[in-house]
Amino acid sequence: MTEDTATIERDLAAVESALAGGTATHEDPLARELQELALQLRADVPRPEPSFAEELHERMEAAFPSPADSARGRAEAARARQQATLKRLSAPRAGRRFARRYVLPAAGVGVPLALIVGLIFAVGGPSGPSGGDDDAGAGGVAADHTANSAGGGAGEQAESLSGLPVEPSERSARRNSAALAPAEPVPRDGNFAPGQADRKIERSFSLELDVPLEDMARVADQVTAVTNRHGGFVLNSSVNAGREGGGGDFSLRIPSDRLRPALRDLAELAPVIRQSQEGRDVTRQHVTAKDRLQAARAERRSLLRRLEEADTDQEAEAIRQQLDLVAGEINGLRAQLRDLRLRTDYAVVNVSLLVAGDHDDNGGVGGSFDDAVDDAGGLLVGFAGVLIRVMALAVPLGLIALAAWLGTRGLRRRRRESALA
Amino acid sequence: MNCTYRRIKGVNEALAERMPVAAGTDTETFAALYERTFPRVYAYVASLLRDRAAAEDVTAQAFERAYRRRATYRKRRGSHEAWLFGIARNAALDELRRRKRRAHLEAEPEDTSALGADDHADLALRREAVRAAMTALDGRERDLIALKFSAGLSNSEIARVLEVSETAVGTRLHRTLTKLRKACHD
Repeated sequence: MTEDTATIERDLAAVESALAGGTATHEDPLARELQELALQLRADVPRPEPSFAEELHERMEAAFPSPADSARGRAEAARARQQATLKRLSAPRAGRRFARRYVLPAAGVGVPLALIVGLIFAVGGPSGPSGGDDDAGAGGVAADHTANSAGGGAGEQAESLSGLPVEPSERSARRNSAALAPAEPVPRDGNFAPGQADRKIERSFSLELDVPLEDMARVADQVTAVTNRHGGFVLNSSVNAGREGGGGDFSLRIPSDRLRPALRDLAELAPVIRQSQEGRDVTRQHVTAKDRLQAARAERRSLLRRLEEADTDQEAEAIRQQLDLVAGEINGLRAQLRDLRLRTDYAVVNVSLLVAGDHDDNGGVGGSFDDAVDDAGGLLVGFAGVLIRVMALAVPLGLIALAAWLGTRGLRRRRRESALA
Repeated sequence: MNCTYRRIKGVNEALAERMPVAAGTDTETFAALYERTFPRVYAYVASLLRDRAAAEDVTAQAFERAYRRRATYRKRRGSHEAWLFGIARNAALDELRRRKRRAHLEAEPEDTSALGADDHADLALRREAVRAAMTALDGRERDLIALKFSAGLSNSEIARVLEVSETAVGTRLHRTLTKLRKACHD
């Protein structure tokens, strides 16, 4: 139904006028009738009993004393509380009421909170700036197994899982990667060779050493010396120890059975900044090549027997041609096995010598203005990270709390209003 | 129906008054608010509950609650009266809900002190007609009528109490009065 706004405004103004003046004087009969009705309604209001008005006035003047302010009042209040408690406990719906008042709101806040916290932990929010996943992924491009650690600064060294001394600050990172650190790698799908006791593992290690510029040449010599002492060899190397900067890179081959002591000796040359290791199970390739070599040899023997028994020159020539093919295959397989054996008997060790300070991206106590600016930037970034994490928790919680508050308010209002329905 | 009521004049005077200072600041200003609104709060609650004894309890409860919460009053959320009647309304609705029934208005004691002898019969008839017509209204409409005529609130104050717009209050009020007028004729 649509109502004429002008009529409504006229009638309401007429009503207000009648209430203000106490008389119904409008010219329009309908409006005047509404005026009279309004006056009648206001004349008919209930009025309080004088005794009640007096009593309440006294209480108001005494600032509404609670019943607990007098001895009698205290006794009555205690009795009332006791009765209320008994009533609450004995009421059949007490449990439901308790659940509705306390358990449901608590669950309403607690469950979303648990979900948010779980989600944040699942996504990896609370992890540090260099999470374990990033570390694992950095060094294992084509490897079945990778274990990295990172850190910096000089200080007391500690034994790591692989036997290498690691900076104390790297302990936590190493702990994170402990699950990735076992010596035996997990074979990749398709290369798995079950039932083989003697597994063939191709290993490679990377070491970054923190070397002062003035010690660069000495440490480079010692790297070669350590390699030779453990029966290995230097595949290639480059060392730069000039005034404007320095560094060195070595690619070493060290016998697998001497790998651990060799790495330990290398790590003693200078503080280890970073290390990583990779392992690849090539047992399947080794077994396959070996089996194929045996088969080729058996075929060669068979062909030689047939050659001895050949009756015609043509037949002998055909067999010789087959023998050439088999011989080529045998040579190829032998080379493949030699290569595999070399790769598994000798581990690849890449050693990088870095000049102390050049790689220090965490900042130090002293340093230049640029270092201070970098440190300040780092601190700000860290603070922003913490802030974002806190916001990630606080904002959804705040929204939930706001929604819960609005919902509770609306519900309470609806319940109250239901009394008028 | 062209008569003057002394009671109405009294209420109008009260409506014209404004508190000089905030009600929430001290007991004395709360006392002023009490003096000004007590009869109207009672009238409103009694109109809603239709039970004199319950109305007294709820009125006392509302004032006590308002007194204890006087520090929570904020001027930007409406006048003192709107705030007080909001508390009274909540207390009355809680009482209604507790009782789980619609109370029927008790027979009001005749208030003849303000009327002349000639007016008595005519007024009684009109009063009965209006009371009968009031039964045609639902709870929300009766609440609106009580806020307007028993509590003596302005439309803007009613809007604050009901948390709706002033325009909506005017529209509802007009519709309810029209309905009541028709019911009086029936």
